[in-house]
Amino acid sequence: MTQAATTAIHDARATFTVTMFQQMADGQVATPTDGAAAALEALVETSADLRAAALLGPGGKVLAASSEGDWESGARELWKAAEEADPDPQQVHVATDDGEVFAVRSPGGNSAVGVAQRFALASLMFCDLRAALRELEPADVPAVSRNGA
Amino acid sequence: MQKPYRFVLARVATYAEEGSAYLRRRRIRGLPFVRVWTRGGAPSAIDLDGEPGSRVFAAAAALIAIAESDA
Repeated sequence: MTQAATTAIHDARATFTVTMFQQMADGQVATPTDGAAAALEALVETSADLRAAALLGPGGKVLAASSEGDWESGARELWKAAEEADPDPQQVHVATDDGEVFAVRSPGGNSAVGVAQRFALASLMFCDLRAALRELEPADVPAVSRNGA
Repeated sequence: MQKPYRFVLARVATYAEEGSAYLRRRRIRGLPFVRVWTRGGAPSAIDLDGEPGSRVFAAAAALIAIAESDA
């Protein structure tokens, strides 16, 4: 039985260590906006029917948006009008001739607004938007152990 | 045994019924609407002719315009 040369292992370890250090942030603290941008990117990649979307913070401030525009006032108007219809709306789905709008609000106050093409699957859209909101608020998700306890 | 022309008639009629049902469903689905879900998860349809419904609809149209402006 031949023994592997340890020099090769050491070389590999050195290579991987350099790669790992290159992937690590240089002591920078991730901001909520960074998390929102990552969540939005994942949302846009995941959701097939989505045309554009924005993630907004508790004050209605835009954390990340897939396109330019006044998402802040648009989302504020949507939620304000929805609150007139219902005192505590959590989800809004509006279908027009030009497309559909989905909006989801989390208990933490963050909200996600998405514009999709007509006849988009509502359940999937809401599922994707809620997943994006969960990425914004990882601490709110209760920890579940492997045995489900 | 069924006569051939009756088979063709039945098949054509079936396809025509399926097509008309599809168009009917699509026409119903194509109607604009506003739905709002409450905290408990219950959805409620908002009347588009009312003030809140028309405001939600206008806000949604503005958001669609924002999305289309960048497309």
